[in-house]
Amino acid sequence: MTRRFTALAALAVVCAAVEMVAGRGMSPGVAWDVLNGGGDATERHILFHLRLPRMLVSLGAGACLAVAGLVLQSALRNPLAGPEVTGVTPGAVLGAVAATALGLAGWDSPLAVVLAACAGGCGGAALLWLLAGRGRGDPAQTAVHGVLVSAVLGGLTAMVLLVEPGGLGSVVQWLVGTTEGRVWQHWHLLWPWALAWGAVAWLLAGPLTLLRCGDDIALAAGLAARRARTLALLCAVALTAGAVAAVGALGFVGLLVPHLAVAVFGADLRVSLPGAALLGAVVVCGADAAAQLSSRLLAATLDAGRLTLPVGALTACLGAALLLVVVRRTPSRTF
Amino acid sequence: MCALSLGTPYVPPHRLLASVLDGDTTLAGIVVTELRVPRLVLALIAGACLGAAGLVLQEALRNPLAVPEMLGVSSGAALGVAAPLVLTLSLPAAVQPLLAIGGAALGGGLTLLAAGLGRSPSAVLLTGAAVAAALQAALLVLMVMADQLDLQLIYRYLLGSLSARTWDDVTGLWPWLLVAVPALVLCAPVLSVMRLGDEDAEALGVRAQRARLAALAIAVLLIAPVTAVCGPVAWVGFLAPHLARWFNPAAGAVRWLPWSAAWGAVVVGVADVPARLALAPVETPAGAWTALLGVPAGVALMRSGGRGRGRAARRRPAAPTDAREPLYGSRRTASGTADEFPRAGTCTEVRGSEPGRGGPSGAVPPASGTTGTEDAR
Repeated sequence: MTRRFTALAALAVVCAAVEMVAGRGMSPGVAWDVLNGGGDATERHILFHLRLPRMLVSLGAGACLAVAGLVLQSALRNPLAGPEVTGVTPGAVLGAVAATALGLAGWDSPLAVVLAACAGGCGGAALLWLLAGRGRGDPAQTAVHGVLVSAVLGGLTAMVLLVEPGGLGSVVQWLVGTTEGRVWQHWHLLWPWALAWGAVAWLLAGPLTLLRCGDDIALAAGLAARRARTLALLCAVALTAGAVAAVGALGFVGLLVPHLAVAVFGADLRVSLPGAALLGAVVVCGADAAAQLSSRLLAATLDAGRLTLPVGALTACLGAALLLVVVRRTPSRTF
Repeated sequence: MCALSLGTPYVPPHRLLASVLDGDTTLAGIVVTELRVPRLVLALIAGACLGAAGLVLQEALRNPLAVPEMLGVSSGAALGVAAPLVLTLSLPAAVQPLLAIGGAALGGGLTLLAAGLGRSPSAVLLTGAAVAAALQAALLVLMVMADQLDLQLIYRYLLGSLSARTWDDVTGLWPWLLVAVPALVLCAPVLSVMRLGDEDAEALGVRAQRARLAALAIAVLLIAPVTAVCGPVAWVGFLAPHLARWFNPAAGAVRWLPWSAAWGAVVVGVADVPARLALAPVETPAGAWTALLGVPAGVALMRSGGRGRGRAARRRPAAPTDAREPLYGSRRTASGTADEFPRAGTCTEVRGSEPGRGGPSGAVPPASGTTGTEDAR
């Protein structure tokens, strides 16, 4: 197990290193030079004030989303409950967009955006809870209802955007999820939030493992199942809201990274929760590096200067392919 | 009527006819004939197509949640339309529906291929959601590449907007409808057989897989031209069949088909009014309203239908439709019959010319015996 953790940590470091040199501003040699203390002012600025915070934000957001997904899946005992399909992410997007449009929160006051995203995420989850009603025992049914809730929330977001068309360009990037132009301010906002709720999730790891076994067993072991579940849901929503406020609605990370984590680290959450955090960080950071590299390649081949591939598009495509594998491999009785 | 008279130059209902007759001479006449009438006609046609396509899909896959949005059909069609717009390829207008059809077929085919045809409904839906998400991601990449002005246009289009559509758009739809409607009429009896389950359908001589593919093809044919003109108006294909079922729970698929089309037309026509007027100077897209109102209403109907079907079947003679019809009364029945008439006209007209050509696309052989009765009805 320790070996797996080390391997994963090494992978994370490699991803981070690739991320540092993948951008198009300067070559790897120059980047190395800057790290050793050389380089001129522009290069130093690019490396320390653009690339470093971007790398950190992508690592942190990936970890947040993965942990939130694992907590949700364990608390609801539903292999298909990611934050994307339970209405949490669309709700958070709606909250953030609406608060910005109403003037309650500007992009220059990030804490208000996070709080609004949090409220929206709670609203989305509550809507699903109401809608699923008695059928909430059936995982596939809940997932399908979640898609419906996402459609409604997406419609609302669209309305808000059309009433306030000013910032459509930047918001569209944010809707698909991007790490473009993240600076230290975002990181300073993200890490305390992520750390606090990550600690809560870590404390909840034991009860969540029990919840995974079923309510009866959890009750027999002396756990207040309802209270633990509510706390876990709150924690998941808060983590998702933080990640969404920082990087936007990254597709499918929260749904599929937990599956990978459970496959690698086993079902004991005390081990697999940190594992999921590492894995999520690796996935998002690696996807971001790949997106930067491929957009560089594309720009070179197509000769289109302003083409950038948002990382969210890459994770969505990857996640869709993985979801197909998961759905196909699972015997039909489960789904 | 509301759609025709409300708006910035308010034309009172009693002067509508006069202004239409006046034609080009007055402002009201121009506004009504050149802007509002084509818009209304387009809304009704689009709604009817989407409603019928939704019913075909739901019946063929025997799945109350199989809607174009969830099968990747709508996003595929939208991708097909948006791609040349962003990449600034200049294409003749006639190619656009073809591209939409290509995209829609790609999305739907991919979903069914990946899910496997005989799998359980939820697996198909989740696969469809994944395919739709991937296509959406491709769309968003396109949107990021576009500049600000194009972006507004595309975003509006992607939500399904009926703004500023003229007679040209309406006439562009007719050829596709001429192909799709007879195929639909031929397909309806097969659908009611498919409802019995694959094995029973096979026993009755319907090749289930092939019929399902044919149904998908028809749905694509219905959805893609509409999407090419006014964007993916969301969730009409979900709401309309459930409305049709709820009001007439005991009928078969054949009976539901025209009702579903009529309800679809009503839904889009009604949703277009708040879309124009709710936030008056800004025009909101109709698709946002249909998504907003359609999904909760559809889910509520589906749930109450599941519970109430047994009850309704028991006391069927005192049909629940009769009890509720007076409430909604004149307005809905009026609009229902209004768009029923031209539809019936085209059906018979096309069928008249059909034997000479020996049946157009997608005619399923075992169905031909029963279509006679269907047509007589």
